Amino acid sequence: MSAAAFRQFICRACGYIYDEALGDPDGGLAPGTRFDDIPDDWMCPTCGVGKGDFEPLIVASIARTAQAAPPIAARHAPPPVVIVGGGIAGWAVANAVRATDAARPLVMVSGCTACVYPKPLLSVALAQGHTAVSVVSESGDSAARRLNLRLLHGTWVSGIDAARRRVRTTRGDIAYGQLVLALGASPAPLPLDAESNRHLWRINHLDHYARFRAAVGDTPKHVAIIGAGLVGCELADDLAGAGHRVTLLDAAPQPLPGLAAPDIAHSFVQELAASGVRFIGAARVLSVRKASAGVDVDLGNETLHADLVLAATGLRTEARLARTAGLAFNNGYAVDPRTLRTSDASIYALGDCASFGGKTCRFIEPIHRQALVIAAALSQQPSPGFAIVDVPVRLKSRSMPMTFSLAA
Amino acid sequence: MKIPDAPMEERPHAGLLLQRVREIAAGKLAPLTEKIDREGYYPREVLQALGAAGAYRVQMAAPRGNADYAAAIQAMAEVSSVCMSTGFMMWCQNACSLYIEQSGNAALIERRLDCHINGDTLGGTGMSNPMKTFAGIETLLLQGRPVHGGYVVNGTLPWVSNIGPGHYLGAVCEIDNDPSRHVMFLLDCSAPGVTLKHCPTFSGMEGTSTLSVRATNLFVSEAEVIADPVAPYIRRIKGAFILQQTGMALGVVQGAIDSMWAVEQQLGHVNRFLDNRPDDLQCELDDLKQRILRLAATPFESDGEYFLDVLDARAHCGELSLRATQSALLHQGARGYLMNAAPQRRIREAHFVAIVTPAIKHLRKEIARLSAQELPA
Repeated sequence: MSAAAFRQFICRACGYIYDEALGDPDGGLAPGTRFDDIPDDWMCPTCGVGKGDFEPLIVASIARTAQAAPPIAARHAPPPVVIVGGGIAGWAVANAVRATDAARPLVMVSGCTACVYPKPLLSVALAQGHTAVSVVSESGDSAARRLNLRLLHGTWVSGIDAARRRVRTTRGDIAYGQLVLALGASPAPLPLDAESNRHLWRINHLDHYARFRAAVGDTPKHVAIIGAGLVGCELADDLAGAGHRVTLLDAAPQPLPGLAAPDIAHSFVQELAASGVRFIGAARVLSVRKASAGVDVDLGNETLHADLVLAATGLRTEARLARTAGLAFNNGYAVDPRTLRTSDASIYALGDCASFGGKTCRFIEPIHRQALVIAAALSQQPSPGFAIVDVPVRLKSRSMPMTFSLAA
Repeated sequence: MKIPDAPMEERPHAGLLLQRVREIAAGKLAPLTEKIDREGYYPREVLQALGAAGAYRVQMAAPRGNADYAAAIQAMAEVSSVCMSTGFMMWCQNACSLYIEQSGNAALIERRLDCHINGDTLGGTGMSNPMKTFAGIETLLLQGRPVHGGYVVNGTLPWVSNIGPGHYLGAVCEIDNDPSRHVMFLLDCSAPGVTLKHCPTFSGMEGTSTLSVRATNLFVSEAEVIADPVAPYIRRIKGAFILQQTGMALGVVQGAIDSMWAVEQQLGHVNRFLDNRPDDLQCELDDLKQRILRLAATPFESDGEYFLDVLDARAHCGELSLRATQSALLHQGARGYLMNAAPQRRIREAHFVAIVTPAIKHLRKEIARLSAQELPA
């Protein structure tokens, strides 16, 4: 006699599976007890229904590669446009989108408080007696109310899950319909050791300005500035105007390298000297070390003692988030100038973090034009398109203001 | 469960290891799961079998192992899909071998490492308190003072897992009440001056042998020192330390997805009204797994961006564990809510992934701190 294969029966009430091979020893059924031989007063060991509520279990193999039964329509509202970054570019996009669409859900994620303020003011604010409060034209919360936008401030984005259209943040995941990256750029570390970099002040942000202003204090100080580009020169002029002694350093032999012709740069050095700024050209900073008071800047042939060292050596956009989202990155988030779309059709970028064929465009003027392009794309309106054009750039110096034309 | 994807043909040792680990998980371990979770049964024989199979050795540098952190994480995931308590204890064991190997202390390595990675002896990690101390969340609980040939240590560490008589753990003490001076050492649970005490009952994972460790005038010899100074050592190992934990989450999420598929035939017609369906979760898990296995190729990378990637992946593990296990119970309904059902146990396991150091909130705090520009103090 050959025994038939053991079978399995499933409880229709609770899903308990009676396996003939295993039986139900706790319920008095020895292993091997056939379902047909189970007495009628036997009860399901998990939910207590009778034998009559069991049916044969037919196991259809559900392929893992197949989809589960399709979901019923989503109960959630369409996901919002999420703007990452609460600086000038982030607010420009929020304003432009709101101007074309009063109802579209908008979320802004910002590591800072997203105060609205004119950032170029930060390099000329000390001499004008500005505090970090007085430069602010509107608080982030107030702008958010005005634009009917949900602002998550003090929130950092840790990753972008482009496949599932979610940004990962330090306050949890946020689903987006479209994502706008207005991340800005951050000061690049100098090619010095970690300790030297730790002693460097940067002013790329309102909070940095507030902390720097507190560190400078109310008595005259000696401030060394590394980098004599536009921002470095403005900061030198500003600090001198506020009564501080300034030493301005650059690796190039003249200030404003690449911008000012040598004869103009020469006159500018004399203007700087007259207002209390010493310029050291062809300077090579080897290290910055804490001294008994202030810091020592080792220049090889001389050691410069300063109370504070400020670096104004240029910005870079960090590639990490682009990597998490698999976005094309070329010195910045690579965007199509017609739409400001990145390599992902749902993700846009503008401002300091965007790159056009590898070129960045880190000025204020283009940001508003870029915001209009994004607003048009989001509302599927014809796009005005964006092109980098020659922009006049002004050096906001009290003694010798200058305007340069930056070729596109 | 299957965790494929890594180029196994280039890593035959990993394929063989995972095969052995799967056999242990499905054989010895599976029938013990409930007993471990609720009755406090400590699965010593399973942990030792995993050691014999090579699960602890594989992450060690040659010649001891294959320096394959990905395989160690995958082995932990295989076990965690069946019983995350045991997966967690594999992490304890692996964290401890990381401490010993990276100590550079020849006497310590000579005496402890080989029997540890074979699973002949077992150990844990008392590093939750120091990690939180260095992140500015707690203060150190052990105090030490230098004496001839070593240190004398006093204090109590709560909640150290995978320990017991004859076991040991990595711990850190402050020296002479100076918050800037620390020594990390291997604390021998059987040394004179050590008292182990049971903790109040947890809501699950009772078999992890989680005890409080009290040190009273405990002498720690220089031969047991792991790191002095501690800060640069922690900077070097913290990526590997955190990344290893992801194996728990990869397993518990896979287990949750499997239990959704198990009822798809009968309940798919109603489960389609739920969020977080198994096919969507599987895609998300596979992507996360790929991120983790890529990171595991360079566990000692010192770049800041790498560490942010590790923190983000680890946080994602906690979040996905919560989401997937919650959904698995909803998929299974009452049968998953039975006290002996895996879906309700996995919810408690997922909560553990989310709160064990570094907890989701610690990870986010650290991500926020590292994302802001550093300025002079």
